[in-house]
Amino acid sequence: MATHVDTHGEYHPPGLQHQFEDMKQQEESVSIGMWMFLVQEIMFFGGLFTVYLVFRSRFPMAFAAGSNHLNVVMGFANTLVLIVSSLTMALTVYYAQKGNRNMQVILIILTMIFGATFLGVKVVEYKEKYDDGLVPVTGLNRKVKASAGEEHGEEPAKPCWEGAHEEHEYINPKGEFQWHDCSLAKKAENEGFLTPTEKIGYYNPASGQIDANKFRDKVRIYFWIYFAMTGLHALHMIVGLILMSWLLYKAWKNTFSAEYYMPVEMSGLYWHFVDIVWIFLFPLLYLLGRHFIAHGG
Amino acid sequence: MSDNHSEEHHEEQHIGIRGYLGVFGILVVGTIVTYYIALSDLDSSLFHGANTLIALLIAFFKMSCVMLFFMHVRWSPRLVWLSAVGSFFWLAIMFAFTMQDYFTRGSGVFGG
Repeated sequence: MATHVDTHGEYHPPGLQHQFEDMKQQEESVSIGMWMFLVQEIMFFGGLFTVYLVFRSRFPMAFAAGSNHLNVVMGFANTLVLIVSSLTMALTVYYAQKGNRNMQVILIILTMIFGATFLGVKVVEYKEKYDDGLVPVTGLNRKVKASAGEEHGEEPAKPCWEGAHEEHEYINPKGEFQWHDCSLAKKAENEGFLTPTEKIGYYNPASGQIDANKFRDKVRIYFWIYFAMTGLHALHMIVGLILMSWLLYKAWKNTFSAEYYMPVEMSGLYWHFVDIVWIFLFPLLYLLGRHFIAHGG
Repeated sequence: MSDNHSEEHHEEQHIGIRGYLGVFGILVVGTIVTYYIALSDLDSSLFHGANTLIALLIAFFKMSCVMLFFMHVRWSPRLVWLSAVGSFFWLAIMFAFTMQDYFTRGSGVFGG
């Protein structure tokens, strides 16, 4: 039990709390505590992934239509930014274990810059959605008085699968959710792979045709999930940045060494976890149904 | 057990700068591959759902790399392995039980 204390006599490592026998025991307790936290994080992101799974399996074409509208270049760039920030975070832990203060400070600052870049790109993306009327809450989209779009005339006579999208999008006096393009559902209908559930979900029961409003409501579910999942992820990024600021202060004061670096390691676990969530969000939100538009619809 | 000196103890706990850069390279390549695979219509050419399945397999592989090497799970105690694997097992139960409900309801009840 007490062999460690015996060999070192009165020596007390920096950062060792009194309830622990030695640093190794403290490190194991700390990392298991952190992992328990991460497990509950996995579970509550898991709830959102379940919601995604349920609704996507119900309305795949509406999800593909919504996904195709996202800015894939920005999503791709953000994925790379986050991976680089994970690398700099891993290297921060590496240099903390070596007790190299300057490299720690530089790498923490780099990690923070990449994290902030991610959030900045996210803000630009959210702004685009707002301008396009794709926030799934009535009143939270860009409001444009009907008179501003007068040259476009009244309701378009064309059905929703013939590109009515452009004519409509700027007339939005109440800030409502805007979606006028159901060409993807029409394509699926023509090729015969619309599921029975989707037919009930998209068709107007009276006319037996695809109903623009009913299809819009299903796309709206997609955007609810998009905002909930990326929003929660962005919140985690903000918490991560606060954590990094604290870590930067500690590293600046040269707190960490080969013997005591667990705060860096644990913040790293959190940061990598947030990166992992995005690794799944990127293909699931941005890339589904991409092949429909890659080959000209 | 024998009394480890902290320097020895930490020496083997990571894969070094080259290793970290290697994992980073794998992650970048994985992202690029995910993107290009999403552009081709595997649902028609392979089987239905192939696009999503392959994207998720790559994501799972990337996640494993991050967890094993960036998060040092490879050198962590068994209890950490257990919590990591256990959480995904629980997640799988949640997905499976939820979907076996929804898939067996028939169309229409929840469809409109």
